[in-house]
Amino acid sequence: MNGIQLLLIAGLAFVAVYFFVRLRNSLFDLLLLLILLATGVVFILFPELSNRLANKLGVGRGADLVFYTSIILFWFVILKLYARLRKLEQIVTTLVRKDALEEADPKSRP
Amino acid sequence: MLNPTDDNIFVILPVFNEEPGLIGQIVSGLLQQGYRVVLVDDASAKKVMLPPANHLFQLRHAVNLGQGAALQTGIALALKKNADYLVTFDADGQHSIADIPALLLPLREKKADITLGSRFLLPGHHNASWFRQLLLEAGRWVNYFFTGFYLSDAHNGLRAMNRYAAEKINLKENRMAHATEFLLQIKQHKLRMLEVPATVTYTDYSKGKGQSAFNSLRIFFDLFLHKLFE
Repeated sequence: MNGIQLLLIAGLAFVAVYFFVRLRNSLFDLLLLLILLATGVVFILFPELSNRLANKLGVGRGADLVFYTSIILFWFVILKLYARLRKLEQIVTTLVRKDALEEADPKSRP
Repeated sequence: MLNPTDDNIFVILPVFNEEPGLIGQIVSGLLQQGYRVVLVDDASAKKVMLPPANHLFQLRHAVNLGQGAALQTGIALALKKNADYLVTFDADGQHSIADIPALLLPLREKKADITLGSRFLLPGHHNASWFRQLLLEAGRWVNYFFTGFYLSDAHNGLRAMNRYAAEKINLKENRMAHATEFLLQIKQHKLRMLEVPATVTYTDYSKGKGQSAFNSLRIFFDLFLHKLFE
């Protein structure tokens, strides 16, 4: 194993520990993360694998294939985050509205 | 012919950092005409507090949410107070109180559930610059693209609706994209909609308060997300 492999695996391990601590209760997220991390480790240990896969898909280098797929993944993550932001905004709105209405109309307060 | 006091007509006035004198002027003008007024202060830096008056309802959001959210809060209160008709009105002085009866007329004659003010139906109803007219033209196409309505005026804050329509409308777009969301929901609930001529007078003050060209991009982005997630 050479230096960069150690560095990358250490990074993935750090991410794994962090998520295991934070997302203990979401089984689906954990499973997804586990699969992604395992794929990452496999490709780090056997870089030739990614090259062969890339060639099969018509991409020159394995590193390029990883790059392209991560762009798609990032877009996916951004959209998910936006969806969550909108959801949060709607919750805040509901609360603020309820508060404003109750204050203007104290009779309706339970 | 049209006596506002016959029905519960609520005018919803969302305000955010408006000139206090101007708000007072608009509110007293509306009250004089027999309208009930719902003043929704969207967490202005300086709290809006008019002297209490009969038929004046004052609300305040604890944090700033945007005009769409303020309108929806006002609609909710008006419905609670048994409104028969609801009018939305911008508080920057660009609308004319005298236009309201014309918007209510088709509702009372049961020809429409919702009427939208338009400055372009008749000539001489606006003093918008060529650049703003260009933006509004773009807005018409954006509306058409998102809703299928090709209206003469894309972004006019003056609207009137009956109780039936108000109960259906539920604005989720907190910011300025609510104008297009209105149209989406008109379509979704098959409300009968009519455009009515109304004047829009831009003053230096309302221009300073109004939408910048950059904001139009923001609206487009909000609409895109709306279509994606709702």
